[in-house]
Amino acid sequence: MSSDVVICLFASNGYDRAAQGVAGAGRNLAAQLGGSMHAVIVGPPEEVTTSAVAAVADTVTVLDQPELADYQPELSLASLQQACGQLDPAAVLLGSDTASLELTARLAARLGGSPMSDGTALAVADGAIRVTRSAYGGKAEAVFELTKSPAVVCLRARGFEPAEPTGGEASVERTIVELPDLVPTRVVDRRVEETEGVPLEDAQLVVGGGRGIGGAEPFDDLRQLAEVMTAAVGASRSACDEGWVPPSAQIGQTGKKIAPELYLAIAISGAAQHVLGISDAKAVCAINNDPDAQIFRHSHFGIVEDYRKVVPPLIERLRDLTS
Amino acid sequence: MRILVCMKQILDPDLPARDFRVDASRNEAERAGANLVPNIFCENALETALQLRDATGGSVTALSFGTEEAEDVLRKALAMTVDEAALVIRSDGPAPDALTVAKVLATAARKLGDFDVVMVGRESGDWGVGQTGGLLAEELGLPMVALVDGAEPADGGLKLRRQTDYGFDAVEAQAPVLVTITNCEGNVPRIPKTRDVMKAHRKPLTTWSFDELGVAADEKVAEVVELSVPEKHVTCEFVEGDSLDEKVDAFARKIADVMSGLG
Amino acid sequence: MSPADATREIGWNISAIWLMYVLLAPTLAVAGYGLWRHIRLWRCGQPVIRFDRPAARLGMVVRHAMLQMRTARQVYAGSFHLMVFAGFIVLMIATTVVMLDFDLHTSIMKGRFYLVFQSLIVDLFGGLVMVGILMAAGRRWIGRPQQLVYTKEASWLLVLIFAVVVTGFLVEGWRIAATHDPWAAWSPIGNVVAALSAPVMSESVLRTAHAGGWWLHLLLVYGLIAWAPFTKLRHIVTAPLSIYTGNLDGYGRGLKAIDFESEAPLGVASLEQFSCKDLLDLDACTECGRCTAVCPANTVGKSLSPRDIVLDLRMLMHGKAGELLATRGTTPEEEPRIPVIDEATAVAPEALFSCTTCAACLEACPVYIEQLPKILDTRRYLVMEEADYPQTMADAITSLEQRGHPFPGAQFSRVDWADGLDVPVLSEVEDPSQIDVLLWVGCANALLERNHSIVRSVATLLRDAGVRFATLGREEGCTGDPARRIGNEFLFEQMAAKNIKIFEKYGVRRILTCCPHCFHTFSNDYPALGGNYEVEHHTTFLADLVTDGRLSPSPSTGQKITFHDPCYLGRYNRVFAEPRRLISAAVSGDICEMGAHGPGAFCCGGGGGMAFAEEPPDQRVNRERARQAVDTGADVVAVACPFCMTMLEDGAASVAGNHELVVRDVAELLRGSVSTTENIP
Repeated sequence: MSSDVVICLFASNGYDRAAQGVAGAGRNLAAQLGGSMHAVIVGPPEEVTTSAVAAVADTVTVLDQPELADYQPELSLASLQQACGQLDPAAVLLGSDTASLELTARLAARLGGSPMSDGTALAVADGAIRVTRSAYGGKAEAVFELTKSPAVVCLRARGFEPAEPTGGEASVERTIVELPDLVPTRVVDRRVEETEGVPLEDAQLVVGGGRGIGGAEPFDDLRQLAEVMTAAVGASRSACDEGWVPPSAQIGQTGKKIAPELYLAIAISGAAQHVLGISDAKAVCAINNDPDAQIFRHSHFGIVEDYRKVVPPLIERLRDLTS
Repeated sequence: MRILVCMKQILDPDLPARDFRVDASRNEAERAGANLVPNIFCENALETALQLRDATGGSVTALSFGTEEAEDVLRKALAMTVDEAALVIRSDGPAPDALTVAKVLATAARKLGDFDVVMVGRESGDWGVGQTGGLLAEELGLPMVALVDGAEPADGGLKLRRQTDYGFDAVEAQAPVLVTITNCEGNVPRIPKTRDVMKAHRKPLTTWSFDELGVAADEKVAEVVELSVPEKHVTCEFVEGDSLDEKVDAFARKIADVMSGLG
Repeated sequence: MSPADATREIGWNISAIWLMYVLLAPTLAVAGYGLWRHIRLWRCGQPVIRFDRPAARLGMVVRHAMLQMRTARQVYAGSFHLMVFAGFIVLMIATTVVMLDFDLHTSIMKGRFYLVFQSLIVDLFGGLVMVGILMAAGRRWIGRPQQLVYTKEASWLLVLIFAVVVTGFLVEGWRIAATHDPWAAWSPIGNVVAALSAPVMSESVLRTAHAGGWWLHLLLVYGLIAWAPFTKLRHIVTAPLSIYTGNLDGYGRGLKAIDFESEAPLGVASLEQFSCKDLLDLDACTECGRCTAVCPANTVGKSLSPRDIVLDLRMLMHGKAGELLATRGTTPEEEPRIPVIDEATAVAPEALFSCTTCAACLEACPVYIEQLPKILDTRRYLVMEEADYPQTMADAITSLEQRGHPFPGAQFSRVDWADGLDVPVLSEVEDPSQIDVLLWVGCANALLERNHSIVRSVATLLRDAGVRFATLGREEGCTGDPARRIGNEFLFEQMAAKNIKIFEKYGVRRILTCCPHCFHTFSNDYPALGGNYEVEHHTTFLADLVTDGRLSPSPSTGQKITFHDPCYLGRYNRVFAEPRRLISAAVSGDICEMGAHGPGAFCCGGGGGMAFAEEPPDQRVNRERARQAVDTGADVVAVACPFCMTMLEDGAASVAGNHELVVRDVAELLRGSVSTTENIP
């Protein structure tokens, strides 16, 4: 059985923080297995991406057919299946972007392996891959042993340290994969939401709003605060369900998992499913008018007050302090 | 259009953290007195399916694999007006893993006939692994689209909207196809009418036992080897101050400290 | 002439007086027909038992139709109404006297009786009517309070009644002047008319005026009688009827029973599904507006108006009279034939789901109209038949179904409040018959951390007093009250049945609740489902313990205190004194009452499922009540209900400039004043 690790990256993402985390995890796991780490890049990558990946991997396979430039589920699946199949690894690692989430189970099934998602740690025990992840909506932590090979795992990428350069430069091979002519599913349109500034998962400072915000307009006040803090804006599931913010702003079990230096939770009760999404934050603080709110049990500091009374003076004060 | 919705009954995700206990011998949560509820994403899927049926005609079948108590989920689905419901019962044994579930659901689905669309929730509120949908698609030989929050009929299939990290994609899918559903404003599960609740108890429910389906016992993809409740180590410091201004000032300073440390 | 012979000639100067009788017939026919038009509509409603216990019902009529005890609560309006009412009673007696004398030849209208009663008293009461009408007109035309409904009909009725009395006095005065009546002084007002008229009108002018005035007066009176049933003046008949058929069993017993086996629609969506009493109510309304004036939702600016619900339904009933009559004897249909719920009217879902079910409207209505049951009937339809109601309430209902409590996201279990207290649980008690009372905690106490201290206080006090009690622990599930108030009767019955089974299992006889909603539901809603228990709320139970000397509080000093009556303890179940007794035992000094207290207390905003609702920040009932508490200058507002506790703490936090007002349950206050060996916070 192979002891190699394959990491799957999408060219369109570049070698972003998530890719760096996947690479880092891949290197570590390969070391534990005593094998090599191969990178597979789906889609035609930029030069800078290829070199960055080549600096951390043992080999790089580029699948740069033009059909693969934009993500298409069936095409990406077919190409990864072929590429990974050829490499016959013990583990295939991916990030937690939506494309990877979509492909993992099917890729695993086609490779005869075991899928897993949202891994926060990887280990090897008696030749089997073990994945640590949150469970029961954040109330517990589980370690899964993946019984089939290869293990195909989506990682909570930004929680892993970026890969160290190997010191060398991996060989880069362009591989042509067989792509089906007709596909049953096609992405026909991509709507990208305007996000000013840094995307949520990469932001070092994040402001989150919850059910207590009470409406779509009050979120503008939060955006103002975020601007002064140079922070990104996210929300709990309740606020998204109400339609006050788009789903892409959702932080939690079924939203983004963020790892900022500081997360400011405003009018968020602190249910476990939301806290799951911020468990990698270095520090958490909260504004809530309920002293018994759960969020305070996860916060390093907080203020018990109606957020409406706090946010305007807070904006002013922060402006003064940071100017 | 024949739609199949697979639904899971889970331990109440709103169980207070202090009541949550791990059964170390089985590596799963202790049932104790906790309630069992339908997984919310399964209900989102059900609502999406019902809206699709209401728009195009056709039928919705609800299918579940669980203990006898899972019947409650299906009775509620019947009260929400699904046309048909079926349950595969397994009373004991460890919690089935994603592959076992996928095989069971696939076997049952084939017994129930051909479907144009299979809808499942993106993940369950208990383990949250979210792989069953994809494995089921492979078992049934269907293409799959994940994280869908809107479905409309289109020529020969569906026009889907799905959530992405950056916004939304519009996806065209030909039937038959499997779709995993995530939550949005538009698929909040409908409230059943009381009369339908009363009728639901009298509607027919197809049941099979796990053994009857002949699925190879516990063909697994994963096994839980450890389950623990992480210790919490955070104590919140509530800012002090005689007035609101003082408190806000203290709070702001702490934030500014973090910001200046980032450079 | 001696006083013994004092009299006057009835029908003096009136020729063809027989015309009066001739005209009477069509007048009564029109009036009768007018009344019948309404009676036949009421009969289209569902049957209801409201003619039993005649003695008690007659008592109600005496108190509220004759003495008008509720009308009197608004002093100005109550006074002028009583004046007009009493005035007309006397005038009618006077007319009867005339009839007895003139038509039945009894010659009673003479002598002292004639002078004192028929002349003086009648004049004075006639004057009283005029004063009353002027007071009413002043209120309606000058004061213009929000409470009233401003219609042409209402104004014309005032004018007509005034004209009736004025023409009466004019006729009397001109008679006195023309006949040089020796007893003129006994009719003071008529005498004034005479004195003013005589100098300017010759005898023949007086006679002509008198005759003309007499016939005018007759026409006005007959006109009033014939017209009355077509106006709100029909309340002369419908109000006593509504009072007679009123609900004798308390506000908690006014809801219709539902038979889930039948095909009839659940709740009311079509007019004929209301009861006969409901439809009578619509015609009994005098448009006084008190129900809306006391409605807490209306007070804070929400669209709910109980008065307008009644009046819009009345308009519907009159407008769709034909359709309503056609429903008699038919079976109910799925689609409502005469839809009652209409977004464009006062019976709009938004209004219906703003109601806190506080029953202030029931308490305020002078004629015992039942506004609240109508609101709940329509809610039941919207919730059970249409499944169309606010999502937050639906979430509470779903949580009830899934978890047995209405608080999704609650971080506590049923037993966490008892941490460290070692409270016995019934399932672990060896001999349940040894237990004096079951302590029923209630969801709002168990699941909301702030309220743990309330139950802990009760439990500690019970232990201090040596009461043998136990709880159901984790077996306790919601009484079903929120389901019933929101409108899901089906779920309520399911939950009640479950609890009744548990009570049977343990042979529970006595229940002590820590929440008025639980108290109310066990006392009023469970008996019909087979659950009959001795139920007490912690205020009455603890008050008895203090009275019996089993608890000895030493009142603390230095705190100004006010008390907020919980709707489901006070207004619904008439428990006002005991909480106050407990407060006085625990805190010395008088209670500075809020303006709206006791039976007229203003709701905290938490009932009727509203504790689970989202409300616009400027339309919050709890903030208004908190403001009322702050305005008393009190340091502490005492409450006796966990919902009131939550609502008022939230409300107090948002009253501008308030940083001091503290909310405490009566049990917490009592515990603070009783020295105990337990020192657990």
